[in-house]
Amino acid sequence: MDEIISLKHVNYSYFGKIPALSDINLSIKKGEMFCIIGQNGSGKSTLLHILNGLIFPDSGETLFNGTPVTEKSMRDTNFGSQFRQKIGYIFQNPDVQLFCPTVFDELLFAPLQLNLPLETARERAEQTLLFLDIGYLKERPVYLLSGGEKKKVAIASILTMNPEVLLVDEPLANLDPKTQTFFTGLLLELNRAGKTIIFTTHHLDLVDHLQPRVAVLSEEHTLRKTGTASGILNDEEFLISMNLIHEHVHKHGEEVHKHYHSHYVFHKH
Amino acid sequence: MENNLPAYLRQSEGGQQEGRHAKRGQLSFLNKSIVNAAVTMKSIYLQAENSGRQNFFQRIHPGVKLLSLIYFEIVISFVHRPIAQMLITSFIFLLFLAAGLSLFLVYRRILFLVFIFGFLIIWPASLNMITPGKIIFNLICFSKPSQFWIYHIPQCIGFTAEGLQVVWLLFLRVLNSVSFAMLVVFTTSFPAFVKSFKIIGLPDTFLMIITLGYKYIFILSRTIEEAFFALKSRLIGNIRNNTIRKLMGGLIFNIFKKSMTNYENTWYAMVSRGYQGKIILHSPKQVDSTDLFAFIVIVAFGIGILFM
Repeated sequence: MDEIISLKHVNYSYFGKIPALSDINLSIKKGEMFCIIGQNGSGKSTLLHILNGLIFPDSGETLFNGTPVTEKSMRDTNFGSQFRQKIGYIFQNPDVQLFCPTVFDELLFAPLQLNLPLETARERAEQTLLFLDIGYLKERPVYLLSGGEKKKVAIASILTMNPEVLLVDEPLANLDPKTQTFFTGLLLELNRAGKTIIFTTHHLDLVDHLQPRVAVLSEEHTLRKTGTASGILNDEEFLISMNLIHEHVHKHGEEVHKHYHSHYVFHKH
Repeated sequence: MENNLPAYLRQSEGGQQEGRHAKRGQLSFLNKSIVNAAVTMKSIYLQAENSGRQNFFQRIHPGVKLLSLIYFEIVISFVHRPIAQMLITSFIFLLFLAAGLSLFLVYRRILFLVFIFGFLIIWPASLNMITPGKIIFNLICFSKPSQFWIYHIPQCIGFTAEGLQVVWLLFLRVLNSVSFAMLVVFTTSFPAFVKSFKIIGLPDTFLMIITLGYKYIFILSRTIEEAFFALKSRLIGNIRNNTIRKLMGGLIFNIFKKSMTNYENTWYAMVSRGYQGKIILHSPKQVDSTDLFAFIVIVAFGIGILFM
């Protein structure tokens, strides 16, 4: 597989004071399913922002298809538009991602900004509504949607760009179990269709489901380990040291006991 | 299992704080104003959003409704005869019936606004102090006329026929203007209404800003309400007013910071989806024969009223 995104010695800090990423080296292949895990505040979302060219590293280099992603290259209309079309970013909080008057406008927003003909944009929007089974929401204002509906619309608004790479920040955050299942299936389907999926999570069960290649960010904002899903998930000691599994207390009848737990992957008695 | 709970958590607070719960109404004025504001905003917006019935007036193109609104406001301001204004009132009433809206709900709001802006503020114009004329109902008589600052106070103060006519005309104008505006608001969803401004040439970027502002009001009202309830649920006993001011100040600051973060992320989301400084929105549905028919009827009615 060809390399589509790579990061070389990337450092980033907020206001030049609060470190967010420290010496990150990553290489992501075309069509790969890639996951970034780490505890809260480890820099997962910041890393996605950098991968999407929304913010730029203090030092180090981001390459997309071998071309450096910098403020200067993003100002180049050709590269900028192509980059935006090829990388879609689904934010963790759909409330910030949805800003158009209606659901249909949301779906048309990206294709129209990317200068696609209106007819093509409409066709894509209609097909996406149908695909995600949200046709009934077409004319609804976005702030009158439920949490699950907002998430579906957020996904739809990105899919109409037909991106090659999909960045997803915490895909299962604030979703009910049914929508979580839907979303997990969707990510698998999109990956099978050849899309590169890069997502962040601290749900190890999602990692187990999707079996991506995994990168683990530490509390110190460094990349501690990269490996296969099974390789990472089976290294219990490492996960404990990274605070990704925790001691869990619960009751069996009258007996209260504790064990290491991450939902159901590490439910050992 | 080992219990590491702090000792105080293993005890009940019952009895220790007696008497402190007696008064818990310190935030009542804020409670009423904030919660009512939030509820009113929500109900207004939700009602507007839910005006999606497929009756005649709802089906008309939002741009046509906007032009009709502008046209009607001009007609209303040019009509000087109360009888003509009353005909406009009847016409709007018929349009409300055609739209199938709850007349009680709609007119309750209209009459509230009209009472304030169309009566309370202008009723002094019916007195002979402001509109000279023949007094038809005397209110008070003094021994002699007098002068107060720039005002001449006549010997007798009362309602004049000319004054009542002026007030009646202004009342009808405000009533008609507010009614027609309400008719458009109640029969058009906000997104469609904002998009209709494209017809008068407003740029898409400006329309997007209106939409974002509108969404922000909606989210803000919900956030304020929730934050206020969270604050209220933790307030026990008598709180001094300056403490309340500090708490509210902190709350407002937090909401402001949260808004800033949200909008920074919204900006990122826009850039991520290809925004390069110019927003392109798709246009609303095309104007069809029904829209043209409705517009012709409204224009013809307006011309008829102007020349009657």
